[in-house]
Amino acid sequence: MLEVRGIVTSYGKIEALRGVDLSVEEGRITCLLGPNGAGKTTLMMTIAGILNPSRGSIGFDGVELVGLTPSRVVRQGIALVPENRLVFPDMNVRENLLAGAFLRLAGERAEVDRDLDRMFDRFPRLRERAEQNAGTLSGGEQQMLAVARALMARPRLLLMDEPSLGLAPLMVEEIFRIIRDLHRDGTSIFLVEQNAHMALQVAHRFFLLEQGRVTFDGTPGELAEDEVIQRAYLGSRANG
Amino acid sequence: MIDFVQNCFDGVMLGSSYALLAIGFTLIFGVMRRLNLSYGPSIMLGAFVGTLVFLEFRAGGLAVAAATVVGAVLVGIYVERLCFWAIRQGAAVASMVSSFAIWMQLEEVVTIAFPDRTYPFPPLTRTEPMDFGPFFFKVENLIMFACAVALTLGLHLLLYRTRFGLRIRAVAENPDAARYMGINIAAVTFLAFACASAIGGIAGYLIVAQDGQITPLFGLWATFKGLIAMMLGGMGSIPGAILGGLLLGVVEAQNIWYLGTEYRDLCAYALLFVFLVFRPGGMFGHTLAERERLALRRV
Amino acid sequence: MDDHLVGVLSNIGMISFIALSAYLLLIVGEISFGQQAFFAISAYASGIATAMWGWDFWPGLAWGAAVAAAAAVLVGIPTLRIRGLYFSIATLAFAEMVRLVFEVFKYQVEIDGEMVGPDGSDGFRDIRYIFENDITAVEYMLMIYGLLAAVLCAFFLLERSRLGSIFRMIGQDPVLAQMQGIDVTAYKILALGMAGLVAGIGGGLYAHLTTFVEPKIFNVMLGVHSLAYGLIGGLGTAFGPLIGVAIDIGFLESIRAISGYRMIAFGGLVAVLLIFRPRGLLDEAAVNWIRLRLRRRHA
Repeated sequence: MLEVRGIVTSYGKIEALRGVDLSVEEGRITCLLGPNGAGKTTLMMTIAGILNPSRGSIGFDGVELVGLTPSRVVRQGIALVPENRLVFPDMNVRENLLAGAFLRLAGERAEVDRDLDRMFDRFPRLRERAEQNAGTLSGGEQQMLAVARALMARPRLLLMDEPSLGLAPLMVEEIFRIIRDLHRDGTSIFLVEQNAHMALQVAHRFFLLEQGRVTFDGTPGELAEDEVIQRAYLGSRANG
Repeated sequence: MIDFVQNCFDGVMLGSSYALLAIGFTLIFGVMRRLNLSYGPSIMLGAFVGTLVFLEFRAGGLAVAAATVVGAVLVGIYVERLCFWAIRQGAAVASMVSSFAIWMQLEEVVTIAFPDRTYPFPPLTRTEPMDFGPFFFKVENLIMFACAVALTLGLHLLLYRTRFGLRIRAVAENPDAARYMGINIAAVTFLAFACASAIGGIAGYLIVAQDGQITPLFGLWATFKGLIAMMLGGMGSIPGAILGGLLLGVVEAQNIWYLGTEYRDLCAYALLFVFLVFRPGGMFGHTLAERERLALRRV
Repeated sequence: MDDHLVGVLSNIGMISFIALSAYLLLIVGEISFGQQAFFAISAYASGIATAMWGWDFWPGLAWGAAVAAAAAVLVGIPTLRIRGLYFSIATLAFAEMVRLVFEVFKYQVEIDGEMVGPDGSDGFRDIRYIFENDITAVEYMLMIYGLLAAVLCAFFLLERSRLGSIFRMIGQDPVLAQMQGIDVTAYKILALGMAGLVAGIGGGLYAHLTTFVEPKIFNVMLGVHSLAYGLIGGLGTAFGPLIGVAIDIGFLESIRAISGYRMIAFGGLVAVLLIFRPRGLLDEAAVNWIRLRLRRRHA
């Protein structure tokens, strides 16, 4: 569904991505692992059209994404749950959700309202806080809101940049439960994750990004067997 | 041709006062990444303290200079506490607006305390202009130019040869890393701000003494000339401040000669506008692409 | 009604337009120190239309506002690429350029044996439409408030509309807004054009009320005031900037005991609010709270 070929993205003279190749299959959960500074967020931003690569191509169901503006990428059916900057803090929860359906608001208002209800059913905690400013939510609630907002765009592919970052363990469980649910409902997911243990339980395919290049590509089984990865990302617990 | 060259010399002399103003401005921006629009008005208030000392005690040049610098530093501290220290980190724009609001306050304080528009200020020297072949120079201008060079050298030594300078540079480069190293950021920025105000005070003294008089309008003038000079050179760059000041001076001098005084400020602002749009980093600052990179690093 | 009160109220009404103009840009997250430029452009353009070309008042006002909006869009295209402090300084430079251009702008025609039209720094006198057509001060005040009510209605509709949410999204986080599929630059230019239009309505009204305009009125202090009104009153609702205007002109300027110290109080108020309520008295949270309260009472 998503084909990334030879992507090079630079910040000034520094190349953050130095020729990345990977692919995301439809209906699967694909996970991108890698240390801090490897270029994971840069790759997400590049796919979303916020950063422009200097070389390479990104195909999405046959459409070339490189050169499209972020709004065009969203129109193709890709939504990004970004790291850190999750919500519009001074808008309430409902408005934040509607923001995600921005492109659909003009034409299909009734349908958007139905989706809004569906999101509140899926995330009851958000319904309770519908009129509250998003900036006052806890970190986990903001993460939920960010996921729900991305879903409001009805994406075919959901990009998630470190959804478990900085969350309490219970909240991390919750987020991964949501990821599994979304997958069951048929959304394809491309996930950046540091928490390899959790990712191992949900993802179907792994890529490892190191210093701007993909250095490993395989299934969960292959990942668990790779000694270097074990030591670096899974620690001693994976041996046990 | 002789006119053009003489204009260049005049411009460099005029520009050295702009450069002096820009040095303090750029020091604050370099350390805090924030803009202090109250910079000119604080200097103006300092100069009025100098005038007060001059009028009340018939004090000599040195005492007036000291009073000006002390006044500028005290007002600078007030501005720093209210507009910079008290406003949360990252809210650079809020600090800028706040410093503009305080500018109004400072200007009104002066107009209430000094109800006449213009007050005398002891002149720097009373010597005649000097001739060098077909060119001539004013002595005050030469003193100002020398002071600009001396201040730059002094500041350079402070930044690169002392521990305090090392701390300032650490905070300027990366406040978070500096904090982990145990540097008290608030204290360093406070002292850097005080330093910049002192430099502003010296600059203000020299400029006002050259004019031989002071009005409340000096604050506006000083902020804008310093701001434009700093922006032309690149915000946060000390050599940039000097060259930006000199460039502004030369452009203005040529302008006055060939187009007349009405267009002097218009051209200065047009120059600023063009630089902001096409080269927002100035001659020595970051290019637009580099700034975008820095901005996205924080994404 | 006594003349003084009518004068104060008319002033509040006119300044509200420029305050709303700066507020609109605050909503999209840009700080402009230069809205007075569009106020000035429209003051001149509409004055020229009625006093020199013999147009009626309403077409003249519409023409002035349209010219201001067009100027805003033209200036927005190059400047909105740059952000934050740089954009603010660019608006400042632009506004000063506009003011200085009017200082040298001469365009006069002879009407009934008298020269009418902008005369450089002497300003533009005899914009006499209001007197020639026997419109009283009270009637004119009502016209101002009628227009203000219309603009306010437009603002409230805007805030409930999709466009309004887009503006707020851009203001809070332009990158995140982009991720939702919004063309941020295009909407910012639109916002700047709308802000120019609103400031332009105020400028046209101003020129016809005072009957003459001088370039020096449109200085940066007017721009900073209009910006400050939104920051004082709050960014949660279009009532915010009006509250700011009412506090400044209605309270500080009109009460004699305070008016001598108006700037001290006003500047201090802005600085303190920026520390404790960076988005003003009626910020989004406060507006939300009031809305919930009202809804509960009705329920």
